[in-house]
Amino acid sequence: MSSGLKLFLRQKKAVVGFIIITGLCLMALLAPVLAPGDPAQRVGRSHQPPTVEHVFGTTKMGRDVYSQFVWGARPSLAVGFATGLAITALGTAIGLISGYFGGRTDAVLDLTTNAVLVIPNIPLLILLASFAGTVGPMAIMAIIALTSWPWGARMTRAQALSLKNREFVVAARMVGEPWWRIVFVEILPNLVPLIGINLVGSIIYAIVAQTTLEYLGFGDPLNVTWGTMLYNAQNSSAIIVGAWWDIGAPALGIAIVGLGLALLNFTFDEIANPQLRSGPALSRWLRLNRLRARELRAAR
Amino acid sequence: MRIPLRRLGVYLAAFLFAILVNFTLPRLMPGSPVDSMIAQLGPRATPAAIEAIKARFGAVEQPIWQQFLDYLKGLATFDLGVSVKYYPQTVTEVLARSAGWTAFLVVTAVVFSLCIGVSLGAVAAWRRGGRFDAFVSPFSVVMIAVPPVIIALATLFTFGVTLRWFPVGYAYDPSLDPGINFTFFGSVFWHAIMPVLTLSPYMIGEFQTTMRSSMISVLGEDYVTMGRAKGLSDTAVMFSYAARNAMLPVMTNLALMLGAVFGGSIVTEIVFNYPGLGLTLFTASVARDYPVIQGQLLLMTMATLGANLLVDILYGVVDPRVQEGRT
Repeated sequence: MSSGLKLFLRQKKAVVGFIIITGLCLMALLAPVLAPGDPAQRVGRSHQPPTVEHVFGTTKMGRDVYSQFVWGARPSLAVGFATGLAITALGTAIGLISGYFGGRTDAVLDLTTNAVLVIPNIPLLILLASFAGTVGPMAIMAIIALTSWPWGARMTRAQALSLKNREFVVAARMVGEPWWRIVFVEILPNLVPLIGINLVGSIIYAIVAQTTLEYLGFGDPLNVTWGTMLYNAQNSSAIIVGAWWDIGAPALGIAIVGLGLALLNFTFDEIANPQLRSGPALSRWLRLNRLRARELRAAR
Repeated sequence: MRIPLRRLGVYLAAFLFAILVNFTLPRLMPGSPVDSMIAQLGPRATPAAIEAIKARFGAVEQPIWQQFLDYLKGLATFDLGVSVKYYPQTVTEVLARSAGWTAFLVVTAVVFSLCIGVSLGAVAAWRRGGRFDAFVSPFSVVMIAVPPVIIALATLFTFGVTLRWFPVGYAYDPSLDPGINFTFFGSVFWHAIMPVLTLSPYMIGEFQTTMRSSMISVLGEDYVTMGRAKGLSDTAVMFSYAARNAMLPVMTNLALMLGAVFGGSIVTEIVFNYPGLGLTLFTASVARDYPVIQGQLLLMTMATLGANLLVDILYGVVDPRVQEGRT
């Protein structure tokens, strides 16, 4: 474990990503301390630029943008992380079952996976959301999870296919272990790096999709999230009147989450696939190579 | 030029799935959407219009399979129903008006990002571990993670509102008459710059990442070593030996990304008030114009499937091994 931790700590990008995500989560958890009071309360005049009293300015409705930003992190992050988990769980389960069983089960599941994969997600999300009317966070979660599992399922299936005839799996089968035990206890632990990548990617996707849906007005406008903040700012033409703080705060929040998660994912990718790594050892090797090439050319 | 039946089966299943969603969703909804649509029509609700909406959304006394057959028959003749917001225009007319602009936007952005992303990825793989790679590759991953809404709003604010470099709405100057002349094309080009720049970062990031990893594995192949051994220049080996083959995964990725690109174009068009499918979808969803929203899903599914099919065909052209393996 400590070697894994060391490997992680040596990756500066991962550490930065981890600090960003932890910091934002702490901010969300400590919202009552950091921004006491109701974020939906009118506290000042309309569209005031940032001052000492309202560090992020106010919205058109005279609400404190800082307070909304802090409180809005809660549902935005919670929905993003929960949906990401749901997508990963669904994708992993379907991919594993499809890959392990093969035959007709695989044919049906693989066909479904590929079919759902090629249907454009956002138009489908908009269709589902518009039939459901204004939807709460739970419905947004369900809609996103049900339409975005195929990426993970495809990756997991490929891995499961390559694992299912390894000795330890065959042995487990011979001992007479039930299928669910073989799949979820024998095979699953071998997929941990893949699941990690899938999870971070799914959280990123969930946050993108959630923001898009809420920005388009499918979220509950009374619920303060970063997405509905963007929606409200857009509706009060904040950009055109020059109230950049109104749009800037939630946009920055979402962009920073994206940055943190992307840095984490980049590192996971490199750990799982050493070929992609571009650490110091590789640079040294490349430099040596270049030197040797130069010497060869000089000798010629 | 053979495409395996399996792929065709997948596309057929995807299309059927989209149709089924369209068909069943309004029938499953509590509180039929039909009434709200008829209310939406207001004084324009002629008996014919009401009849058409009822038939399409299942408020008729017919067995469900009969309704489904009628629905399929309608689709086969490109009858997607009538728009509620723009009645008496049909959905096909409403979509046809804006599809061209979206196609223009998406194709321009894809070509632009493909050139940049693939070159960045190839160079990053060639010099992996170097300073270029250390900066460009993480940057690409970050670009994928930032929602298009954010990029669109930032672009609009910086270049549209603050610097006033580019126009902040419409596909061309509304005072111009559309025609085949330099001024009109110039205006179209000028208005497309910000939307295209907004759509690109995501795609450049995706292309760069895919190209880099596929290029890295290709660089280990024997034929690349062979090219080097022949004494070819770095550029020749990089582009005519390695990059050509490393492009294949990029193309698969392109076809699969198209759905996300459409998602991005919807948001971009709304932010920049660009008269494409996204803006139509947005006005339709605000007005609860269900027939248009449904037609949109079918159209975008068809576009994505078409692109996938095209990639399957191109794959065989670029890499003859694939075709041999299939026959």
